[in-house]
Amino acid sequence: MPERIKHAALDSKDLKHPKADISLIKDQCKGCGYCIEFCPKKVFEESEEINARGVHPPRIVDDSKCILCCFCTAVCPDFAIYVVEKESDEECKT
Amino acid sequence: MAEKKEPETKPVAEQPRIGVYVCHCGLNIAGSVDCEDVAKFAATLPNVVLAQDNRYTCSDQGQEGIKKDIKEHKLNRVVVASCSPRLHEPTFRKACEDAGLNKYLFEMANIREHCSWVHLYDRESATEKAKDLVKMAVAKVALLEPAEEVEVPINRKALIIGGGVAGIQAALDLADTGYQVFLVEKEPSIGGMMARIDKTFPTMDCSICILAPKMSDVGHHPNIELLANSEVAEVKGYIGNFHVKVLKKPRYVTKDCSACGECAKVCPIVAPNEFDVGLASRHGIYSPFAQAVPATYVIDMNLCLNRNGVVVCDKCMRACERKAIVFEMKPETVELEVGTIIVATGADVFDPSVLPNYGYGRFSNVITSLEFERLINAGGPSGGHLIRPSDKQVPKRVAFIQCVGSRTDKNGRPYCSNVCCMNTIKDSLLIKEHWPDTEIYVFYVDIRAYGKGFEDLYNRARKAGVKFIRGLPAEIKEDKRTRNLWLVGENTLQKELYKVNVDMAILSVGLESRKDSETIQRLLTLSRNQDGFFLEAHPKLRPVDAATGGVFFAGCAESPKDIRDSVTQASAAAARAGILMAKGKVTVEAITPIAFPEKCTACGLCVKVCPYNAITLNKELKRISIIEAACGGCGTCAAECPFGALTQSNFTDEQIIAQIDAVTECDSDKKIVAFCCNWCSYAGADFAGVSRMQYPPNVRIIRTMCSGRVAPKFVERAFARGVAAVMVTGCHLGDCHYINANYQTQKRVERLWKKMEQNGLNKERLQLLWASAAEGEKFASKVREMKTIVDVVTPEEIEKAKKVFEKALVVD
Repeated sequence: MPERIKHAALDSKDLKHPKADISLIKDQCKGCGYCIEFCPKKVFEESEEINARGVHPPRIVDDSKCILCCFCTAVCPDFAIYVVEKESDEECKT
Repeated sequence: MAEKKEPETKPVAEQPRIGVYVCHCGLNIAGSVDCEDVAKFAATLPNVVLAQDNRYTCSDQGQEGIKKDIKEHKLNRVVVASCSPRLHEPTFRKACEDAGLNKYLFEMANIREHCSWVHLYDRESATEKAKDLVKMAVAKVALLEPAEEVEVPINRKALIIGGGVAGIQAALDLADTGYQVFLVEKEPSIGGMMARIDKTFPTMDCSICILAPKMSDVGHHPNIELLANSEVAEVKGYIGNFHVKVLKKPRYVTKDCSACGECAKVCPIVAPNEFDVGLASRHGIYSPFAQAVPATYVIDMNLCLNRNGVVVCDKCMRACERKAIVFEMKPETVELEVGTIIVATGADVFDPSVLPNYGYGRFSNVITSLEFERLINAGGPSGGHLIRPSDKQVPKRVAFIQCVGSRTDKNGRPYCSNVCCMNTIKDSLLIKEHWPDTEIYVFYVDIRAYGKGFEDLYNRARKAGVKFIRGLPAEIKEDKRTRNLWLVGENTLQKELYKVNVDMAILSVGLESRKDSETIQRLLTLSRNQDGFFLEAHPKLRPVDAATGGVFFAGCAESPKDIRDSVTQASAAAARAGILMAKGKVTVEAITPIAFPEKCTACGLCVKVCPYNAITLNKELKRISIIEAACGGCGTCAAECPFGALTQSNFTDEQIIAQIDAVTECDSDKKIVAFCCNWCSYAGADFAGVSRMQYPPNVRIIRTMCSGRVAPKFVERAFARGVAAVMVTGCHLGDCHYINANYQTQKRVERLWKKMEQNGLNKERLQLLWASAAEGEKFASKVREMKTIVDVVTPEEIEKAKKVFEKALVVD
């Protein structure tokens, strides 16, 4: 099948995009950078600020990119990130 | 493969006992050749023990005579001087076999097509020429050796590449016959282009409704193994015995999948669906379309969050009740042993974004015909409601533009794509059916409604009020506010300019060869025409066979065609493959190469020129091995070998040299030696005879299977023996019956020309002619042209050529 796609999908506007509410507990972060490294959508980046433990905690670049896979929650060694869906918080109860 | 059987009677150095039969063919030959005189002359030739003339040698009586003489006179070689070997060689070979003589100990002298018919009014010269032709045949026959034909077993399994409608039909036909079929499809589902089309012309059947049952049959058939999401990676072997490696890409979903679709609902990845040409979206885990076979879902690993080997997201896994999702799946290579291969790889759709004047890709309401098919399809993104992409409103005025990317020299393809005219007519009727008030314009060059029921459909469309305007728009302009389109061009029937305002324009795009055709071409040693489609063995009589034995074509891989033609061709290909497999064996004519290992230096030149990859070089052992079943029998390897380590059975160096020597024994300075290939130029010379085209009688034709057999030393020897001119003839480049062997001919003749020039010889004395079997006049006029060259060749020039090429007289 051709890779050539020239028109936007007709149903693109109807698709429900999940909205994420990402919570960072900045002072609990030890600056390992796993979340920045492993987030498949690259939602995080390193910030300039310095937290209570004297390291740079992550900062959210664009939370609309988040697809709620919650891998950040899984990889964070310090339990410093939680993600919940805004409308319904049923999913993502890791 | 089968071992070549040793001839039962070893060719001990027995003295040849040759019988020569000169046929009158009524008055066809006797009318301009003194056959009695020719027979008398033949009796004086060495090793000839019997020479006679008869009225019709090919009659039962004539054949019985030969059989009787073989026994009575202990003949061990037979020459018949009559018509073309292309006509009666099998007849006389059969007669020899019946009398217990190996059929390869027979030779024909063509004194009808190449002599009596083309020299009708010059009895004396024609008789002289006939004597020469008989002398050549006698010289060759004395050196012939008995040969046994190799029998190759055929594996009764078939591989079909491509699961579109052609591949599906071929697979079902073969599987129903009882053969095991492997169907390899690159995409996750079979169905191909036909699955995406809404209705089919001219009957307006629903496309997927008639295809889906066939697809499901393929999925369930006990004799078909479906390898979807797979590609052919390697093909080795030859007719009847192909070893194929298929790369099976992982689906990441096992067969336990029930296609419930729960996984797709939770997948966070959204991407355009290729099946809908991007007009609808799909998820990272998806089934291409509702009727897909196999129905098993597939994960697009280029998009999946787990592509780096870490399971980041497991939503689909958790949603799957049957636990059918396995992220660890690896690509696997499946090895198959098959006897026949059907290539049904289909065609690609032309990409109109290279045409800036139509604005495809810039203007949202300019779409292609394939996108339109998805839009009007009830299973498509709009649920069958005709809407235009910019505002999702029903268009009131629609334009179809024909020949987009077809029949053009610039920005497109030169050929007609065969299906677009009827497709547009069908589409226009579909719109009229549901939205009768829509104004429809079709801009065309010519409407080609050539098939059964096509003209009816065309008339129906015209009666329904579709406006057909001859003359393609020069340009499409967009109204930025309304997104409507202005089409500007000239109506060439009324010679006036038009400017038409429409809501949506549909580009009727043509078909082109698959971008990956080259891979298939390389894997199977096929050839393609200038348009990129695969080339059949013969355009009229073997339209589904490839030149490579055991390979067949079906569908658009061979040329653009509609569904009906694709299905017809698929059934034909299945039947052709079935013939081979039903027989279970194939015999290979004993004209394959003979190797003399003691002379071989393992230089590998023969391996390079072999069009069939039938020779392999073992570098460590410094030996070549010949796969006789794969060999086509062109002999170009023997012509290429600089050490004389290869020759072609039944066309050996000694035999061809004996013919050259026989021609040049007397009056060589007046003669032309012509080398003709069996398929085109020899047949062309035959055609000149059948059409009674008269040409000078000083040409002597030596037949080879392919012009690629003509070694430079043959030409050199002819000149060294004082011949006035030499002609090398073959099929047109690209038409070679041995794929591409005649390119070697060209190279060799060019080298000879260079050598002649360097040595101050007139290179016009060596001519190269490409003539097809239909170009008798071309052959005849070339001989006439060469006569003028021969007439002015001086004795000094002949002597000079003799000197330059004197090395060729030494036979190693």
